[in-house]
Amino acid sequence: MFGLPGQGMHLRVDALSLLFLAILVPQVAASAIAGMGRSVTFWVFIAGMVCALLAADAFTLIFGFELMSAASWLLVLRGDRGPASLYVGIAMFSAACLVPALFLPAGSLAFVLVLLGAGAKAGLAPLHFWLPRAHPAPPAGVSAVMSGGMVKVALYVIIRYGFVEYGAAAQPWWGAALIAAGAASVLLGSLRAMLEVELKTLLAGSTVEHVGLIAVGLGVALRAKAMGDPALAALALQAALLCAVAHGLFKPLLFLGAGAVKAATGTTSLDWLGGLMRGMPRAGGLMLVGAAGMAALPLGPGFAPEFLLLHAVIGAAGTGGILARIGFTALLAALGLSAALALGAAVRLVGIGWLGRPRSLHAAAAGEAARPVLAGMALLAACCVPVALAPGFVLALMRPVILLLVPAAQPAPLAYAPLWLAVLVFGPAAAAFLLLQKFARRGAREVPVWNGGFGRPPAWLPFGDPLTQPSATGFAAPLRRALSTDLLPAAGDPSEVFLYLPLLRLHMRVTRLAERIRRSTIRERLAFVFGALVMFLLALGLEQGG
Amino acid sequence: MLLFLGSFLATLLHAVLMFALAPLLAGLVATLRARLLGRRGPPVWQPYLALRRLLAKTTLVPETATALYPLWPFVAFAPLAACALLVPGFSTGMITAPLSDFITLIGLLALARAAIVLAGLETGFAFGGAAAARDVLFSVFAEAALLVVLLSFVLLAQRATVDDIATVFASGHVGLSVSLGFALAAILAVALTEAGRIPVDNPAGHLELAMVHEAMLLEYSGRFLLLFEYAAMLRLLVWMSLIGSVFCPFFMARADAPWTWPLGLLCWAAKLCSGAVALAVFEISTAKMRVFRVPEFLSVAMLLGVLAGVFLFVAARIGT
Repeated sequence: MFGLPGQGMHLRVDALSLLFLAILVPQVAASAIAGMGRSVTFWVFIAGMVCALLAADAFTLIFGFELMSAASWLLVLRGDRGPASLYVGIAMFSAACLVPALFLPAGSLAFVLVLLGAGAKAGLAPLHFWLPRAHPAPPAGVSAVMSGGMVKVALYVIIRYGFVEYGAAAQPWWGAALIAAGAASVLLGSLRAMLEVELKTLLAGSTVEHVGLIAVGLGVALRAKAMGDPALAALALQAALLCAVAHGLFKPLLFLGAGAVKAATGTTSLDWLGGLMRGMPRAGGLMLVGAAGMAALPLGPGFAPEFLLLHAVIGAAGTGGILARIGFTALLAALGLSAALALGAAVRLVGIGWLGRPRSLHAAAAGEAARPVLAGMALLAACCVPVALAPGFVLALMRPVILLLVPAAQPAPLAYAPLWLAVLVFGPAAAAFLLLQKFARRGAREVPVWNGGFGRPPAWLPFGDPLTQPSATGFAAPLRRALSTDLLPAAGDPSEVFLYLPLLRLHMRVTRLAERIRRSTIRERLAFVFGALVMFLLALGLEQGG
Repeated sequence: MLLFLGSFLATLLHAVLMFALAPLLAGLVATLRARLLGRRGPPVWQPYLALRRLLAKTTLVPETATALYPLWPFVAFAPLAACALLVPGFSTGMITAPLSDFITLIGLLALARAAIVLAGLETGFAFGGAAAARDVLFSVFAEAALLVVLLSFVLLAQRATVDDIATVFASGHVGLSVSLGFALAAILAVALTEAGRIPVDNPAGHLELAMVHEAMLLEYSGRFLLLFEYAAMLRLLVWMSLIGSVFCPFFMARADAPWTWPLGLLCWAAKLCSGAVALAVFEISTAKMRVFRVPEFLSVAMLLGVLAGVFLFVAARIGT
């Protein structure tokens, strides 16, 4: 009935689409519980994603993908008009790349177009500049699914075409291109996450970082597969897919928490928050789970993928030519840098937003998040537990996907054993607790903060002077100063400075030109028509005469 | 079964020694430093007395602290305790050996650091926040350097756990290599940063503005401060054991062969003593750096780590 004439639309389910559907389920359920369930546009958006994941032919895939883009554009438009037009521009660019790519024969040109089209939608550097603007705009439930689910659908397209559809024509440099884009996203995303002050923009920066981590894993896998090293390809794929699963749980959790903060205080700027753990302890505790995942701390949901990815990159550094090896060494340094930056960003989110003293009356008066939002967050946190403590089991479930993508692979068991590690961590902690209970002086006395001997604040400042407490901007200041010379141009993200701002200027110029044409007087229009007629006749006459 | 019993006993002995001797090492360094400066210095067991004093003190909780205030000392201590159980000391082949993956260790150290930084932000006082920001700045460069150094170890040993790396390096197949020299210099810089020693931070400093690790703990007292202080001592011991077992793995005992233990224990003690002497000599011969020099210091470490890797690649190229 629908679809291309004579072909129609077809759906199918295989291991890969099942995995990505499974990634979608918890976050969609959590957003629906948290309040998005009544929005029709939201369900159209979800239907688009499901259609793209289940597509068996190129037309259905494009149909689902564009349905997803259009519905999410409407949802972004509810929040803010500025990023919505940027968003629709990127969506059109991505469609302009994807539509020809999917109908081209398998080859390097088609892959590059897929990478450009789906990569722009996933927020891969250097086309990521729209993501930290557009993802924070809609309501939190939509931001959650956009960051946790929509970028995964774009990555699914890259996986589907890079590994399955074009698998036979794959070249090692495809993987290298994916790794380069991923490494740039990882660095820039974690840097944005560390420097941004708005809570949701910070989380979107972290999304760019995690998309980069997944892309690095996919790139290493693609390169290893093309070079005939299925063991390494399987390891890197395990890292990428587990990272997609974990990120699909903790990032929506963090976005829902940011929405709760917005509802409770009216702002998401960290510079106006502080001490939220007093007013909203439950949401704060759930945010700690998400922050542990975002920072890839051991025993959290984000550590196992990071562990696998670092091992895959170390393994890749032992193969290939000398330049590739040096490149992988640099990649490892970049991954270390961004892992520490992500830790700093998560610590800043928790430490500035939830600990310390309130920086505004709104933050001091914040109340606990609404019950449905807490339920959605708790659902996602509960799903984080198996990923955090039994990643080996999750990887075993993923085995068919890896065999589908790399048929020759023998996925190795995971070397990281979180349950035993938990014994080693919690054993001493419990021992220390019991020993201190037994031998140390009991009880605690509440006293005014010492603060290096500073005087007490006046009575009309119940939480002290907010200016004597480091702000989110101040917390990031040493890093901004240390890195601002070489990595960052003055305005921030290089892709903003070299790509977004020139595009913006071009857009302004074209708009002005169009406006000029629209406002032209009747004489100018007549002159234009007359001039065109003369030119036409002249051309005709010259043709005849010649 | 007998082998397992041997490994288990060795692990137990290792744990007891690690937890019992961590304050002694800190005291040894402090005493040596004082002696080298011409002072008599505190007795070597002074840290034990300091910890006992903290046991008897009342714990004070600042008014502005949130409910998570008592959590951070434990979160800072527990991963370091796990590291102490994972890093080989006098012997290789302990029952915790399969878990001692280098990346797990890096993760555990990061977890402990996150807890200390959050403790600094907890009460919302100025010095703690400033020090927390500095610690995050240092960690960004330190972690990158550490990962690059790890690459050289894994390429040389073809293994990723500290225990296996020590075993392979002890077998002498690797020999002396330029890469290991670079890696040693890089890891020493990272260890000095992580353990909060001069030239990055002064553990004996008393000026709040110049402190990093100590300033984050200024609002902690009593039993919570005890845990933080003990965790810091444990961290120094973990780093010294780690560097000792990777770069000087000779004469280490086998956990399942009890007759090798005495020699291993002696060697471990000798390594720790020489480490303490080296640290004390280094600390009195350099001054503390400005905060914004530290990223440069650590970038040099990262560069040395990359060079170690590049030399390995070139050597492999020439070798084949």
